[in-house]
Amino acid sequence: MTALGTSSSASTPRTVGAAARPSHRRGTPGSRGREALTGYLFIAPAVVLFAVMGLYIVGYGFLLGFARWNGFAPHWDWVGLDNYADLLWRDPVYAPRVHEAARHTLYVMIAVPVLTVAVSFPLAVALARVKRAQAVLRSVYFLPYVTSGIAVFYAWQYILQPDGAVNYLLGLLGLGSLQEPQGFLGNPATALPTMIVVTVWTEVPVAMLMYLTGLQTIDRGLIEAAELDGAGWWRTQVSVVWPLLRPITAIVVLLTLRSALHGFQTFLIMTNGGPGTHTDVLGLEAYRLAFLSKFAPTLGLAGALGWMLFAVAIVLALINLRALRSRV
Amino acid sequence: MWTFKQSHVAGLRAAAAEFGEKTGIQVRIEAYTPDDAYSIKVQSSAMTGDLPDVFEVHSDGEDFVYGAAGIVEDLRGQIPASWNNRFNPAVRRSGTVTQDKYEQSLPATSTSHGAKKGARYSLPFTIGTFGIVYANKAKLAAAGITRPPATWEEFIADLKKTKAKEPRTGGLSLGLKVPSTGLNWIGQPLAFAQLGKDGYESLYGREKSADWGSPKGVKVLGAYDKLTPYWMPGTQTLTIDDADQAFAQGKSAFDVGGTFTLAFLQEAGMRADDILAFGLPAPREGAVKDLALGPIALTGLALNDASPRKDEARKWMRYLSEPDVAARFSKAASDLSATELGAESADVLGPNLARLMATFKGTPENTYNPYDTSFRPPTLDMDEAGAPLIDMSPLRQTGPAQTGLRLRKLIDSYWKEAR
Repeated sequence: MTALGTSSSASTPRTVGAAARPSHRRGTPGSRGREALTGYLFIAPAVVLFAVMGLYIVGYGFLLGFARWNGFAPHWDWVGLDNYADLLWRDPVYAPRVHEAARHTLYVMIAVPVLTVAVSFPLAVALARVKRAQAVLRSVYFLPYVTSGIAVFYAWQYILQPDGAVNYLLGLLGLGSLQEPQGFLGNPATALPTMIVVTVWTEVPVAMLMYLTGLQTIDRGLIEAAELDGAGWWRTQVSVVWPLLRPITAIVVLLTLRSALHGFQTFLIMTNGGPGTHTDVLGLEAYRLAFLSKFAPTLGLAGALGWMLFAVAIVLALINLRALRSRV
Repeated sequence: MWTFKQSHVAGLRAAAAEFGEKTGIQVRIEAYTPDDAYSIKVQSSAMTGDLPDVFEVHSDGEDFVYGAAGIVEDLRGQIPASWNNRFNPAVRRSGTVTQDKYEQSLPATSTSHGAKKGARYSLPFTIGTFGIVYANKAKLAAAGITRPPATWEEFIADLKKTKAKEPRTGGLSLGLKVPSTGLNWIGQPLAFAQLGKDGYESLYGREKSADWGSPKGVKVLGAYDKLTPYWMPGTQTLTIDDADQAFAQGKSAFDVGGTFTLAFLQEAGMRADDILAFGLPAPREGAVKDLALGPIALTGLALNDASPRKDEARKWMRYLSEPDVAARFSKAASDLSATELGAESADVLGPNLARLMATFKGTPENTYNPYDTSFRPPTLDMDEAGAPLIDMSPLRQTGPAQTGLRLRKLIDSYWKEAR
């Protein structure tokens, strides 16, 4: 008797594997119905949850993008595509704000992925070579990810203040010329680069872990073959390891792009877009239009901006997917 | 009842206990802070029908938004003169949609769009004003300063002295992370004193010869720019509370806020004897030489339109306006009640609160009234308007002339939007 035949006996519990067999091998129509019902019951909570928390909210947000509403008034004013036009070019108040925030966001979208890869890949390569206390070091470098949250961003804020730890440390090291008397978040020239560094600090742990995982999947034979061909350590990393990890780089870039495009909580807590408007980004602008506009009827503008960010994210994901395909 | 001011909780709870004993009506006081969190709490609770019977609101703004949305009761005709006359005369109509406020609500983009003319959506609860300067007496003494400055120029000179004495901690703090504070609390009273009422109002108008970009506007901005060397390092990254906290910790010699700031400073550990409080002084050559800062209703009480206990809620609101109850609340909260406390107010309130009340005394000609915004574009976002000022001072990115042109462009865009 084959294993297949064994598992189809009435006395043996059905398994996931059994459900994947061709239908003509399954039991009677009645048992198939019960099996399907069981399956539906299992996925029902997720479907209901998605329908309520996902589709409803997504649909509501999409419709909101075509309305003018402050969250209170009994009725929405339907404005069609006005919100999109107002944000992109038409409204003399909102369009300039969005343009400035878009420029800042673009800087973040370029700098964060580049710096994250630049830091996390060498870090992973170095960590992979460490034989002692690798687990401890991995945990140390992973710490920013598990501790990220409001408290950490407040801590950063205090560290970066005029009388904060960074200025103190620079003074202690005799690097007084690098001190920032207004604090690193108080000077328009350093505020956005500082926010980029803090964002990279939160992104590196996961990226580093992904690279580390990737490094462990590389066939040792390839490395040895390169070494036999006379390639040194540097050449091996550049010509063998880095190309093999390109799919991971693509994922890291995608994830960091998403963070750079949608993330705003760091900016909200640490700068609120300031000083002045020098660190205003699109995610923060959308949040402000939705919740911090002192009850102005801008929920629809927030919805429209959210959907535009979503569209950009989809385009970037498709581009990235294409890049990934061509390299694998 | 809900409030967004932690400093009000003790006074309100004491009043609620007394009210419960007298009437048998139990009132539970809950606080949600800060203001932004409170607004979102009210917004979400309104959507789910969980609002309390009575809640504290920012007067003459937020109450109109709630009124326009039908969330709060229209109290028009429900407040007899015997009740309304208890309030300070300057704020007796607070919460009412006057002709000016109605016109401001007309654009579809106005926050109070839909408010009904003549409706009354809140009653005044606390009053006060902006542009109050708090100084650290010990730092003043160390710099050889013995009295409050009489003019803007003397104020700048005092800043210079304290900064010279203590270069890192002798300056001025203000929570410029909220960009409107510089404009609202210093820029506007200064403009009013420099140009007089009409000149000040013209700054927000559409006439290029008199707006912020004009020579007059640039002159005001130039006077404001005199503060630039004396700001506390990093004040542009501080919230309002952070800046007050910094002053209380001795990181600055001066702090600008409102009458309500006194309560926070005392909560932060300063004693009344440590502080010298005075109204922002006028420029020596300004149109208004003896600047007075008009009192406005800062917070009000609104009645939930869906409350099943409206009679009891009204009794509670009326109880809070009784002079002896209001006096006890004022002392407990270190805040000024909207109820008139009469000639004895100085004894009841103590020297600091009484000194702050003295800044209110002026004539219509010399009193800056922050409540009157009828001359501004109806949807003007003051945070947006405050940002160019920060770029000028303390950031030194621009000068007064360029700042004036930026403000002109911004205000013009709001006028265009309002059409």
